[in-house]
Amino acid sequence: MDSLQIGSYTFSSRLILGTGKFSNSTVMLEAVRASGTQLVTVALRRFNREQAEDDLFGPLSAIEGITLMPNTSGASTAAEAVRAAHIARELSGSPFIKVEIHPNPQHLMPDPIETYEACRILAQEGFLVMPYIAADPVLAKRLEEVGCASVMPLGSAIGSGQGLATSEMLNIIIRESGIPVIVDAGLRSPSEAAHAMEMGCEAVLVNSAVAAASNPPAMAEAFAEAVAAGRKGFRAGLMQKSGSAVATSPLTSFLGTC
Amino acid sequence: MITIDLNGQQQPLPPDSTVSDLLAAIGSDGKSVAVVVNEQIIRPENRPSHLLQAGDRVELLIFAGGG
Repeated sequence: MDSLQIGSYTFSSRLILGTGKFSNSTVMLEAVRASGTQLVTVALRRFNREQAEDDLFGPLSAIEGITLMPNTSGASTAAEAVRAAHIARELSGSPFIKVEIHPNPQHLMPDPIETYEACRILAQEGFLVMPYIAADPVLAKRLEEVGCASVMPLGSAIGSGQGLATSEMLNIIIRESGIPVIVDAGLRSPSEAAHAMEMGCEAVLVNSAVAAASNPPAMAEAFAEAVAAGRKGFRAGLMQKSGSAVATSPLTSFLGTC
Repeated sequence: MITIDLNGQQQPLPPDSTVSDLLAAIGSDGKSVAVVVNEQIIRPENRPSHLLQAGDRVELLIFAGGG
């Protein structure tokens, strides 16, 4: 059985789904079910009695086999992220935490220094730390060394749909990493998810690509199939590239030729 | 009545109210709400006995959609 192992958790699905930006929670829950995902991200927000339907804990927990991975979105420092992680663990009962510290709402690029510090603290506290990072091989290695459970480099900017713009750096991170590499952010199409898996990513995390699709549940299913196909392709071993043509049919002994 | 700060807004409460009383007053069963009082997490088993004081800063947090 080819499964994704993170800490003591084993997942048969390699698609992690975000729950933001859906038109409503009914569509989001349909997409979660259609995707077959077993790990979903959620965000901490203040309770608002006028918007009780925003509370996703109950509906998501009711789906069998789902583990919650809260994020620290909204934090702009390591201290804020650590505080958010503590609160999130109280609610989720899950050791997973997606460390996401992006101080600038214009580009949402993760702060590497604050992210590193938050990850170091949370890993020591026993969290399964899943940091959202720029596609930086040096930072990825440093995060592995402080005990992160995975690294989640961006394919391109959050919500941009620019795909695997960082693929050269992702290849280096995958080659060097001793922990799962999960592409998080920027994907638009299922083929990009398949590509990431063929490169050797252990999983992909998508949100906007599904939430902003015309038919989110159908897109969730398409991503699930693409992730599975990409993983199979990776395990099957891709052929070597060649700079010139290599014939697949015999070129000699044809009819009147010698 | 006393006044606390609830998610950044002033909230009047009867004296000797507990965290559980506050949750009941706002219509929450408390199961899916994290409670933070003056930056301290109040776990569910401690909510019935944790008395709120005038000026306490109370944060109630839930899980919403996020990527």
